[in-house]
Order: sequence, then C-alpha cells, then structure tokens
Amino acid sequence: MKVRVVENVLKANDAVASANRGRMDQARVVAINLMSAPGSGKTTLLERTIPALGADVRCAVLVGDLQTTRDAERLEPLAAETIQINTGTGCHLTAPQVAEGIGRLELERLAYVFIENVGNMVCPAAFDLGEHRRVVLLSVPEGDDKVAKYPTLFQQADAILLTKTDLLGVLDFDMGRVRDDLSRINTAAPFIELSAKSGQGIDQWIEWLRGQRRL
Amino acid sequence: MHELSIAEGLIDRVSAAARGHCASRVTEVTVSVGVMRLVVPEALQIAFGAVAEGTMAEGAELQIVEQTAKAVCNRCGGAFEPDIGCYLCPSCGLADVRITAGNEIILESVVCDVPQEEAVR
Repeated sequence: MKVRVVENVLKANDAVASANRGRMDQARVVAINLMSAPGSGKTTLLERTIPALGADVRCAVLVGDLQTTRDAERLEPLAAETIQINTGTGCHLTAPQVAEGIGRLELERLAYVFIENVGNMVCPAAFDLGEHRRVVLLSVPEGDDKVAKYPTLFQQADAILLTKTDLLGVLDFDMGRVRDDLSRINTAAPFIELSAKSGQGIDQWIEWLRGQRRL
Repeated sequence: MHELSIAEGLIDRVSAAARGHCASRVTEVTVSVGVMRLVVPEALQIAFGAVAEGTMAEGAELQIVEQTAKAVCNRCGGAFEPDIGCYLCPSCGLADVRITAGNEIILESVVCDVPQEEAVR
C-alpha cells in the first residue's frame, strides 16, 4: 500500500527553531549565528566584539564544538553568560540544542546571543536554529576560492566577514577573486574586511551589529 | 555528514506515517531533497540504512528525488532557477535573492505492508 505523506522531514528541528526565535523576539534579543570553517577566527572575533559593544551591552554566547570547553573558557570572562554545547560527533548545532542553551540564559537581561556554530562550511547551513541573522566568516589563510567552493553558505549569509586581514600582505590572497565570486552569489550582504588582531574593520562590524538591533 | 540528522528526521516521519496506517513494515520511502541542502545521496542512503535498523523501515528502499532551486529577485521580483553556484538575476544582474525552492526536504510517500485484518477494517 502506497501512502502519500508530504511532510517536512526537518519539522521537529524547524518547529523548535521557530519557538527559539519567538522566545528571543519576546525578550528583544538579537541572535546571531556565526558559521565558518574551523579556525577562521569565530572565537577570537567574539573576544574582540563583546568588549567593543560596550559594558552596558550584555551578550551571551552559545559555543558549539564536538569536544572540550576551551572556547567557552576563553569567552567566559568577557560575556555575561557563556554556555558550551558539545555535540559529540555532531557536525552542526540543532535547534533543540540551542533551545536547551537559551533556556539557561536570562534572556530579558541580554542584548545579543551569539551562537558560535561548529566549524564546518556545509552541515550548519542546513539547520535553522532560530537565529535572526546568519554571519559567515572567511579567513585570509583559507584562501580566495572558498566562496565559489561553498556557494550555498555564502548565499544565505546576512553579512560576510573576511577575517585575519593582517595576513593579506603575507599570503597570496586575491581579493578580486573573492569579490568577483560574491558578485554572483550574494550582493545583498555587506562584505566586511577585518582583523581581530589589529582591530582594523572592527568598527564597521560593530556598526553592522548595532544596526541589527534597530530592525 | 548532516545526512545523519536528516535520516533521523526522516525515520521519525516515516514511522509516524506507517503507524497512522496500521502498517507492520515499510518497504519503500520516497523523499525529495532540495539541492540547496547539499545532501549527498550516497551518504543519505547509508545514514538511512543505519537509522532504520530496528524500526519498521529496516531494509526499506530509499528513493531520493532531487529538487531544483528557485529564486525570486529582491530587487525586481523576477523569478528564476539559479544554478547552485550563481544567483545572478537575469534581469538586474544582482545576486540579491530569496530562495523559494531548493531548501525543502519532504517525505513524499511510503510504501508499506498492512496486515490483512487491519486493511479490511
């Protein structure tokens, strides 16, 4: 017997994601999902970002990693609240994991929730977590061909950050190639060049983040 | 390997559908997968087989139907079918789009065995 079903396979994840978003909307918190390859500088960027937003802007970070609490330990002194989510073997965060994380936060007292996804350029893109904005990082040492190789991740980004620009003079990195690829993949998202090490471009990133609270 | 999470969701939906029809066993499952989800069919097959073990869908055949992407330009409202690596609107030449299809993962149908006495009811 053949049964026609027509049902969203990720219904369970998507329903929890919508609930997460609703919960954060109610608390007037902006949730930012940071996605990139491992080692592109998500944690270092947050170490720069949280103090730069100002002492009165309370931030929480949910950090997704397969193992260890190292990232959470780095962010703990800076963020109002930090929660490490260990996915074990999971290569991406899911909405229920984020629900569990935000359930432990005092959302009403926060301005931003940063969700540092598991370093991976494929799997995280398929899962709505209930975030308001998706930010994709690309670091200079990863090379100038990443945008073309992982187009779907960059296509759905609300902002694209080129990190570690202090290495631009050291490595062969063709900025023209990145811009050219982005011109076919995503012309709507701002492209911000920055270095968490030197501080270059951080102002522009902070300004973009502040802008998201007014929407 | 997000195919594993997808397979888990799929088995959940399949089991619910089969139970709803008083089935005893599922023999075939058809799922449509949007190209934007970057699902590797072989990986989904392996994950599905592993997750199905011990469920009604153990040993079921999985049919994967790929769905193309569709986009609407945020500037001019024009609809088009983008290539996965290029989202340029053919009218305005900008890549500022809303993806309207290609992200879905839909359980389309299941083929199942229904015991005789249940089928008569």
